[in-house]
Order: sequence, then structure tokens, then C-alpha cells
Amino acid sequence: MRSPKRSSARAVGTSGRGRTWLLPLFLLSPALVLLLGIVAYPIGRAIWLSFHRVEILQPDLTQNIGFDHYRGLLADPVIRIALGNSVVWVVGVVIFQFLGGLIGALILNRRFPGRAAVRGLALIPWATPSVLVALMWTWMLDGNYGLINDLLVRTGILSRFQPWLAQPWSALPAVMLADVWQGIPFFAVMLLAALQAIPEDLSEAARIDGASTWRVFLHVTLPLLVPTILITTMLRMIWTANYMDLIMIMTGGGPGYSSLTVPLHAYYIAYKRLDFGYGATIAIVQVIALAAAIVLYLRQLRRNEVMVQ
Amino acid sequence: MMWLRRLRFSLLCLGAFGLFLFAGSAIESIHAQTPTVVRYWLWLDDPTEPMFGDLVKEFNAANPGIRVESQLVPLSEYHDKLVTALAGGAGPDAGRFKDWWLGEFVKMNALESQNASIAKWPGRGDVIENLWNTGKITEAGPVYMMPHQSITFYLYYRKDWFAQAGLKPPATFDEFLAAAKKLTDPAKTQYGFGLRGGAGGQDQWLAFMVAGGARLVDAQGRVIINNPEAVKVNQWYIDLFREHKVAPPSAPTDAYAQVLGAFQAGNTAMFAHHVGSSVLVTQKLGAANVGVLPVPAADPAKPATMVTMAGNVVFSASKSKEAAFKFVSWLSETNAMDKWSGSRQGQLPALKSVARLPRYTENTFFKVSLDGANYAIAWPPLPGVGYVSAQAWQANMQRALLGQISSKDMLDEIAKALQR
Repeated sequence: MRSPKRSSARAVGTSGRGRTWLLPLFLLSPALVLLLGIVAYPIGRAIWLSFHRVEILQPDLTQNIGFDHYRGLLADPVIRIALGNSVVWVVGVVIFQFLGGLIGALILNRRFPGRAAVRGLALIPWATPSVLVALMWTWMLDGNYGLINDLLVRTGILSRFQPWLAQPWSALPAVMLADVWQGIPFFAVMLLAALQAIPEDLSEAARIDGASTWRVFLHVTLPLLVPTILITTMLRMIWTANYMDLIMIMTGGGPGYSSLTVPLHAYYIAYKRLDFGYGATIAIVQVIALAAAIVLYLRQLRRNEVMVQ
Repeated sequence: MMWLRRLRFSLLCLGAFGLFLFAGSAIESIHAQTPTVVRYWLWLDDPTEPMFGDLVKEFNAANPGIRVESQLVPLSEYHDKLVTALAGGAGPDAGRFKDWWLGEFVKMNALESQNASIAKWPGRGDVIENLWNTGKITEAGPVYMMPHQSITFYLYYRKDWFAQAGLKPPATFDEFLAAAKKLTDPAKTQYGFGLRGGAGGQDQWLAFMVAGGARLVDAQGRVIINNPEAVKVNQWYIDLFREHKVAPPSAPTDAYAQVLGAFQAGNTAMFAHHVGSSVLVTQKLGAANVGVLPVPAADPAKPATMVTMAGNVVFSASKSKEAAFKFVSWLSETNAMDKWSGSRQGQLPALKSVARLPRYTENTFFKVSLDGANYAIAWPPLPGVGYVSAQAWQANMQRALLGQISSKDMLDEIAKALQR
């Protein structure tokens, strides 16, 4: 892989080695400056913050405290609750979004009258701003006159209205429900694109050989979808782990800490307690945990790709 | 001719540079005549209200040397945005401000003492005397916040339901609880009291705490919110939800929209709020069905409620402090104060001359509120109040309402957060 690239680079340069890297660097510099400015600097700054006690409006009082914030993490009972909630949130949301998206994609891939319109309409939840989604679901789930309670009581499933967002056991699942609703179209669209790329003759051949619809799906369609599934789930895991708009608006992390996730905890510590140092520490822990999960996942992905091929 | 072209190009560049310099100096001279800009931040409960925009126009027209440029920020984001803007050197010159944040910002040297300016301000004698305290850290210390609009908490109740049930409006904790129990019927999704455990519920909670005899700090400013007496009152408040179940099951996360909505929809018989919601409540339920009461007290001889002041501050980082004070003091003069209090943002005026006007003395909601101002207690100016009101109270109140921690644990956490 490497040698052809190198030789082509040499061919571009005219006089001496110095110039060969100067021109590409020059051409890349706007992008590099942007990357350094909006990615590298904030990350570096967050790491620096995590080692300091910061008085936000009095920079002279900022002091280096080494690993104190990291030691503080071990003694913080809330971070443990938040980590647990984050795992439930990410795993639960991504699994249900994926299953919903897969079913949606399979339906949208069939021919039926009005398919184009349905495909367009199906994207509405994805295109709705998070604040709207949060407010809409907050009112639908309302414990005193919410639509969902009303329907459940009228159909006899429940005997009495439930305060979905005010009970520790149901608050996080209720927010997850809203997020699953919002995220299904993303999976559906990605999987639909992958489905359409599968050549028709493959499943046709399987059917001629006598395979049932289920077996065609399991042995022909699904293996060809795996690369798309793995990539989209990974992206979704990262986004979901960092996503806090819905939780913040619907429950504020409550009741108590029952729906508090790690990024929301970091936000509260940094902006409400004005403890930017400790807030940054929590954010860094989240980055490390997420990076570890993604590395494991990518490894698994590579193994699966080998298996599929 | 290469050199000729180069010469022409150089001359052109020189000419352009000269023009640029000229334009620069011209702008400079225009600049010298432009008015001093005062950047002012505020939140409004109803951002569609034109009242404030009109006030700014009026002020700018009357003061050609000053131009006020205002920016609206929602209250829920106000504190965070202000801190980050000031830290980044892009903060406003002056702003609307809550007494909750006073301790924190004074500790960070972010606010300018207004004593010298107030001494020269002709309107100072009109301010209701004890309201100056809401802008100070210590009684003898300087005033950092100009008193402007305050609210005291009172209790709304359904007159029609009380009459049907043969109940009299409650004046004590015991009467309050008895009425709440009688008006609770979960089968009809009807509850006695709209307890607010979610965002912003700390003001309602504090009103009941002080009415029960608890105090946040003692006379020396020491935090005593976790003493045995406070633990008892807090337990009474928690039990409204846990033990007696007179509050809706959704109470732990109910915020303003939910408690207001539940009262309007006929799900609750009473809820505590301030004059700011009186129009919304009466519009929906009819003035005849809505009554208003002082917050009931544990001991009716010692009434108390919560007052919170939204005043105006000038920031130490401002380069036009004099003009900034001119604007915020103008807001605290009779004309502007009456326009503000009389608008949909309507809160209690800080001026004697305005409070005496018939439109306030003849309005029941303003009257009960202004009566409450005589014995109302404010959040103390401790650096931790901002954090307590933004998050710590909510998380710990909810845990207590769910039975995850005791009344004492909750108050210990709040005491700790207050003293940060």
C-alpha cells in the first residue's frame, strides 16, 4: 500500500525533498488550522481544566491540583449512578432504534401504493428538533392529563394515570421511548439504502433453491447488511452517549438522579455549580469510556467482516 | 515593460492604503460623536411582550448621549450564559439580576458597588426602604443590585370547590392539610395541592419552610437549614406527597408549566405561586372561582413567605458604568416602574409611589402579595444559592420525595451546597 503513494509524492515535487511536503501542507493548512482550533484546542483545554481548580471569573485564583479531581471521582456517588444510567440509556436506545429501523427498512423496501410518500413522512421524527420532541413527549406522558395515560386507561390496560416522568423506575425508560421514536428513521434510511444495494438475483437464486422467506432474510439479506449495521450502530452509540437534550428537558436527570447520565452530570457540575475543572474531568472519563467501548466494538466488527466474507 | 507595471501596481497599492487610512480616521471622527453604548441583558417571562422594547426606545430618545442595546436570554440559561460571557470578556455592561446569584457574583468581584451612584440619584427616597437589603450581602455593606421587581409567594385556591366542600380558606398548616385531604380524590385525578418538586420548585418550598418556622441562616449568617426544627418542617412538606398523598403522583418532577396546567385543568385545588400567574389563572377558571391567600403558617402569629427580587446590576468589567447606571436607575423610576409592573410581566413594584397606585391596591393578587412583602424572607446572599436553586435543591428534594433519602439528609446536602 505504502510504496506507490510515496513514489507519486516524489513525482509531484520538482526540486529537492523540502518542497515535496511543503505544498501539500500549504494546501491542507486551512483545514489543519480549523481542526486544531475546533478539535485539538478544546480537547487540550479540557484536559488542562481537569487538573486545575478553576474560579471562572477570577483566573488568578486558578490552581494546579494534580489528580485531585480524578480522586474526587472515586468518592462521588452520583457519578456511579450516572455511569449506570448512561449504559442503560445507550444500550437500550440503540438496540430498540436498530430493531425498529430494521423492521421499518424491510417494510419500506416492499412495493406498496404510496411508498414514496411514506418514505418521506417516515423521516419526520428524525427531522424534528430535539426541543420539540422533548416537549411533545413531556405533554403526552403527563401524569395528570397526558394522552398516553388517557389511552391506556380508556383501553383498560391501566386502572389509573401513571406519572411516567416522576417515578424512578419509569423516568429513564420514558425518555428512552422518546429517543427511540426520534432515532428509528435514521436506522431505517441507512438500512434501506443497504437493502437496495443487494442484487435481486441473489435472493431469487436462494428462493429457486427452495429457501423460505425467513431463510432468505437470515442467510442472504442479513449477512449483506452486517457492514452497514455495524457502522450505523457505532455512530449511533457515540451520538446517543453524548446526547442529553431530551433528558435535560424531559426530566432534568430526575426524579433524584434516576435519569441522570454522564454528560448531563458534567454539564450540571460545570455550568450550574461553576466547577469547570471537575466538569471537564467527568467529560474526559466519558471520552475514555466511550473510546474503550468503540475500540472493542471495532475489533468485533473486523472479526465479523472476516466471518461474513 | 515589467518595471512599469510593477510601479503602477505599487502606486495603486499605496493609493488604496491611503484611502483606507482616510476612511479609518473618518470613521474615528464619526465614532467620537456616537452615543455611549450600554449593552443590557434581561429575561422576560413572556418574551413576546412589547413593553421592554418600548421602554428602551423611550430611554434612548430621552438620552441622546446613551444608546441601550438589549439582549433577551431565557431565565433558565441566564446564569450560565452570563458567567461564560463575563469569563470570556464579552459580558454586558448591565443586566437584570436575581438575588439568588448575588453571593456568587460578589465573591467573584463581578459586580460594581452602586453606593456612590445611588447617593447622587434623586429617586432613592422613593424605594421601599427594606428592599435595599435584597441587593446587599451584609446589612452595612454596599448595594450591588438596584431593587426593581419582586415577587412574594401566596396560595391560589379553588373558591368553588372550597364552598362545595364547606371548607374555609386555610390559615394554618393543620387547616391546609385538612382541606387538601378533603379535596383529594385520585379516582377523579383530583388532588389537594400542586406541589412543585421539579425545576424552580425551591421558591415554593422555601415559602412553606419559613412559614413553618425554619430559617436558612441565623442572625449571624450561619447556615441553619439543617437544624432539628427545619428537618421537622421539611418532613411535613415531604409528607404532603409521601404520607398524605394530597399532591399529584407527578409532583416530584412537576415544574411551573405542570403545576399551573394542573390547576387550570382542575386537577388541583391549591397551588403556590406569585402575582405573575394571576391573569393566566383567572382567564382560564374565571375570577369568581379563584381565591388567593397568604401562605398558611405553622403558627398563625408568625406568618412568613418567600420574597425574591429581580433587580438590576452593573458589571465591574463594564467600560461605561456611568451610562449603565443611568439606564438601570431610570428603570427604577416611577414611569418605567409602573409600565413594567402593569405589563404582563407584572410583578411587585419596588417604589412607594407606584405601590400606592389604585391599580395595585385594588387588585386582590397584588394586595395579598404586597401584604406578604412585610414579613417575607429572601434567599440569603450566599455563594451557593445559585447552585442550590439551579440544581442541588431539585435533585435532593426529589430524592426525599421518593423516599431515597431522609429529610435530614436532604437538608444536610442543601446546607453543604449553600456554603460552597
